[in-house]
Amino acid sequence: MNTNGQKSIRERLLAVPEWRVIIDSNPALIKFLADDPCPNGLLSLASVVWDYLGETADLWEKGAPFVWCNLGMSSEIFLGFENLGHIVVETQAALQSILGDPDYTHAFIDLAETSGVPSDCCSADKAGIGSILRELYPMPACSVGINTPCDSQVLSTQAIAELGEAPFFLIDVPYYDDERTVTYVAKQLEELIPFLERHTGIKFDWDRLRRACELSNLAVEKIWEWLDWRRLAPLTQSSKLVAFTLIHQILFNGTEQGVRLATDLAEEARVRHERGDRFFEERVRAIWYQDPVWTDFQIYDWMERELGLTVPVDVFGYYAQEGLIDCSTPESMLNGLARKLVKCQPMSRQFRGNIETYITDFLHMHEAFGADCGIFAGHVACKHAWGGIGLFREACRKAGIPLLVFEFDMFDARVTTRESIEAELTRFVNEVVLPRKAAKQGRLRV
Amino acid sequence: MKPMNSKSILAEFREIISGPANRYVERWKEDGGRVIGYFCSYVPVEIITAAGFLPVRFRGAGSEDSAPADVYLSSKTCTYVRHTLSLGLKGAYDFLDGEISLNTCDHVRRAFDLWRHKTPVPFHGFISVPRNVRESLYPYYRDEVGNLAASMERFFSAEITKVSLRDAIRLHNETRKILTELGELRSLDKPVLSGTDMLIVSVAAMVMPPAEFNETAKNLLRSLESEEKTASKPRARLLLAGGELDEPAFVTAVESQGAAVVADTLCFGTRGNDTLVDEEASDPMDAVSRRYFFKVSCARMIGNFPDRFDHVLRTIKKHRIDGVVFQRLKFCDPWGGEAHNLGRRLKRHGIPVLFLDREYGHPNKGQVGTRVQAFIEMIESLTRRTGIKEGCVG
Repeated sequence: MNTNGQKSIRERLLAVPEWRVIIDSNPALIKFLADDPCPNGLLSLASVVWDYLGETADLWEKGAPFVWCNLGMSSEIFLGFENLGHIVVETQAALQSILGDPDYTHAFIDLAETSGVPSDCCSADKAGIGSILRELYPMPACSVGINTPCDSQVLSTQAIAELGEAPFFLIDVPYYDDERTVTYVAKQLEELIPFLERHTGIKFDWDRLRRACELSNLAVEKIWEWLDWRRLAPLTQSSKLVAFTLIHQILFNGTEQGVRLATDLAEEARVRHERGDRFFEERVRAIWYQDPVWTDFQIYDWMERELGLTVPVDVFGYYAQEGLIDCSTPESMLNGLARKLVKCQPMSRQFRGNIETYITDFLHMHEAFGADCGIFAGHVACKHAWGGIGLFREACRKAGIPLLVFEFDMFDARVTTRESIEAELTRFVNEVVLPRKAAKQGRLRV
Repeated sequence: MKPMNSKSILAEFREIISGPANRYVERWKEDGGRVIGYFCSYVPVEIITAAGFLPVRFRGAGSEDSAPADVYLSSKTCTYVRHTLSLGLKGAYDFLDGEISLNTCDHVRRAFDLWRHKTPVPFHGFISVPRNVRESLYPYYRDEVGNLAASMERFFSAEITKVSLRDAIRLHNETRKILTELGELRSLDKPVLSGTDMLIVSVAAMVMPPAEFNETAKNLLRSLESEEKTASKPRARLLLAGGELDEPAFVTAVESQGAAVVADTLCFGTRGNDTLVDEEASDPMDAVSRRYFFKVSCARMIGNFPDRFDHVLRTIKKHRIDGVVFQRLKFCDPWGGEAHNLGRRLKRHGIPVLFLDREYGHPNKGQVGTRVQAFIEMIESLTRRTGIKEGCVG
């Protein structure tokens, strides 16, 4: 209780089952991870999420203004404002999948559909809208949308603008990825600052932004280092960790926690490699080129254990080389942030423009990570990815890369069962990839 | 000899829109003219006309099978884009000298990849349209339009002059004015033009030479005004809302139960026709760009729903609408978001609304008719209860 005899935000959050399950998960997770063969990255994630929840609750308690945004946005610009909270509306869905109870995500999806969002729309966005409708977030002083990475985000930003009932600002990222595009996006970031000042009542602080950009750079460098370790075969760190870079970019870009998480991931990869720690025998390396199985991260453990299938990197975990921000001047920082939004944010980079970028990145990853195959885990509502499947298949065929294509829903386990995904992976590894690999190595003629 | 009564004119328009090509396009090509296909209402057709080319809007009419496109786009892409591209892959659009795509939506973007890689169409233009209507983003769109014009000039060794652009502006403005006048006849107490026929005319305007369309459509207007009026009062006056719809058979299904579609906000319909290009502007390219960027927006424009909703409310009031039928192609996310927001606000205003998802090429007459029948009964029951004779009050 506070001094007025009212419940504190923390008490109020604990009374909401969706928040309680996440908050309660932390000690349970730490206990659970004690038995995990690869616990440090996960423990680090649990720890930074815990910090994030605490800081958000503190800001809420203080009556600080909040901004809503969608997952295509990067958080550094918000960190230039002291005591400004920002909520990525997909946060609940992501945290329920990793730490809480995916059934709550299902309930968000159902709620969004009940309120008029068509069922063929993306479950991430439906879950975001559902969590808004469940009133799980503090109401915003204003909202910021970005049109990346896909049309589904267009849908959720439309809903953010409507349900937030607050002034709305859109960052428009065009189709192209040239310097004109970077300058255009930077100009909008410049325009965003007075918008946020006006609606939050907080003065923007360039030194705070510089600090956030510096931290962002540190984290990016650590992620690159981490990816370098993960290039080495055999993989010695859990496959499922690559999916968490999405959490990193949603919640922790430009923060101390972001640096900590990236450092812990890189350090764990280094130590495990140097020690030669292995808890599975790597037989096949795959580039997981679509959405992770958020509904069931244990499937990655199963893949490693049963099939010897590892995923050194996926489309979310791939941080392109344009991620560093020049912190020397306000203009260079805005340009750097714009460049990051255009060329680095996972998925936004690959899906916003033409299909060539998507294919080229895959072929690069395939080579750089020494992969044996690609896995197109086709999230059912991911229209931009499915829309490129024909040309992607052709490119893989031309390059001689075996490609598995299957359907599932990354946030809705009711669409495809784990068993059917396992069956797809098993058949692909045992009947397609391994025989080809053996033939290549000259042990078998096919 | 031009047909002069409304029935024969409408029959001609109906025939013209039945496939990707038509006799006007064929004649244009025979005369050595160039034809440019385009997606979406954010392509300023005045630029194409000013270059001396014929703009023809991409459609899937005449496609019986989307399989050729399904192979590349999968079944998750909307059927409008799949059928359109299928026609392209089968060679039905080989008469095109170029095509212009946009970042309208994920589906059109992915189709653009395939137009470039898998069809023999020689010229590919592209416009990246900002996703929000605000003054600070307008210069980007203006530059995109200018870049498109310059790339067409380069590729075709054509010239778009201020004079040719002004002529094109007048021509297309005239088309909009005629369509607006025809729209008024659709909205009479006893409409003399059905919603089905209005869509036929609107679509025809996008696939034939504008001068010839204008002449024929003016004849239609005169015929409808002079012919004996036999129409009756509809059971309900409907606003047909949503995105892509160029299939008259769907509107026929909606109107089959005694209701009349007296207004629309469709991409292929009359949305934006009341916004003309400024004919007197000193910079015609700027005037054209302004018109397209600031007209009533498509659902792809984020954060502009309040303006679109105001437009819907104004339309409801102006045309004394009893209920809204919102149609959406399955898999369309931008219009999916619109469905959510529109349903919420219409409910708040007490305006009946029916949401229908559809697939291109399948008007589903029976299903649509049944649902519209129930919707009309609901409106009639509401009218009886509230005592309001006609029209919702927004």
